[in-house]
Amino acid sequence: MRPFRVLLVLALLCAAASALTAESPAIGAAAPDFQLTTVDGKSFSLASEAKSHKAVVVMFISTQCPYSNAYNDRMRDMASAYAAKGVLFAGINSNKTEDAAAALSHAREHGHTFPIMKDPGNKVADAYDAQHTPTVYVIDAQGKVRYEGRIDENSENPKGVTSPDLVNALDSLLAGKPIAKTTTKAFGCSIKRV
Amino acid sequence: MTRKSGRAVTALLFICAAGLAAAPSPPVSGELDAAGFRETIAREKGHVVLVNFWATWCVPCREEFPDLSKMQERNRAAGLRIVGVSTDFASQKAAVEKFLQAMRPAFPNYRKKSGGDDQDFIDAVERTWGGELPFSILYDRSGKKVKSFSGKLPIAAAEKEIRKLLAAS
Repeated sequence: MRPFRVLLVLALLCAAASALTAESPAIGAAAPDFQLTTVDGKSFSLASEAKSHKAVVVMFISTQCPYSNAYNDRMRDMASAYAAKGVLFAGINSNKTEDAAAALSHAREHGHTFPIMKDPGNKVADAYDAQHTPTVYVIDAQGKVRYEGRIDENSENPKGVTSPDLVNALDSLLAGKPIAKTTTKAFGCSIKRV
Repeated sequence: MTRKSGRAVTALLFICAAGLAAAPSPPVSGELDAAGFRETIAREKGHVVLVNFWATWCVPCREEFPDLSKMQERNRAAGLRIVGVSTDFASQKAAVEKFLQAMRPAFPNYRKKSGGDDQDFIDAVERTWGGELPFSILYDRSGKKVKSFSGKLPIAAAEKEIRKLLAAS
C-alpha cells in the first residue's frame, strides 16, 4: 500500500502545483470570473455583466504606460460605439504603482465612462496571465474567452491602422461568425505586480 | 623629413588618436526589422549574446540599464556581447538618443524599425514573447537561443547562466 500512498501524495502535489501556475485562459475556455469595485465605488461582477451583454471587453490598462495611453481615445470611442450594440468595455488597472485616485482622474481626463477597477494584489491579471498593458480579452455572453491580444497593430498612428483586430473580433462575434484572428500580440508595458 | 617636421607629424597623429578615442560612439547603431535582428545575432556567432529589448518610458528598463552595462564590462573579455534594442516609437527618436548619451552603455543599441506589424517582429524574435518590456534573450556561442527573461533581468542569476555558457567551449 505504501507505493500507492506515495503516488497519491505525488498526484496531489502535482495538482496543487498546476493550480498555482496561472496560464492564459484558452480561446473558448471559461473566462476567470472576478468581482471588483470600480474606482467610482460601484461593484462589478464579470459573470453578471457577461450574462446581461452580448460581450464584455476586459482591458488591462495603465495610467502611465505610453502604449496604453496611445489607445485612450480609441478605447473611449470604441466603448461608446459598441455600447449601442450591447457590448460593455471594462478597464482593469493591475499596476501596484498606480492607485485608484490616479485611475479615476485618468479616466475623467480621457472621457472613459466605462467601468474601471483597481485589481488589488493583481489577482485578476494573474488569473488571466496578463503580462502587459494594453491587453484586451473579449468575453462572450456565455462567459467564454473569444479573443485575446491587442486593440490593433498600430499603436503609434490611429489613422494608419490596417489590422483593427478588436473591432474585427467584436464584429464577427456580434454577427455570429467565427473570429478569424483570435490571438494577437503587440508591445506594451509590463504589469507592475506586487 | 626633417626632425622638426617629424615631430609635428607625430604630434598630429597623437592629437588625431586622442580625438578618435574621445569621440562618442554613435548612440544608435541602426534600425532593425526582423531580418536585421537575425543578421545582428548571426554576426555575433562565437560570442555569448544577451539581447535586451527596452524603451525610454519603461521604468524597469531604465533601472536595469546601468547593471547591464557593468555586466558587459565584467564579461567582455570572456566573450559576452550585450545588444540593446529600443522599441520606442519613431516620434521618440530624440528621447532614445538623449537617454543613450546620458547612460553611455558599454554595448551597442539599435532601434526597432518603425512601421510594419509589431507581431511579426515579436514572433520572429521569440514565439513565447507577448510583447512586454523589458524582455531579454540569451544565446550561446553557436547562436542557439538558450533562455528568455520577461521583465527586469535578475542580474545575479542571469550572470551565473552567462558564465556557464562562456565557460563552455
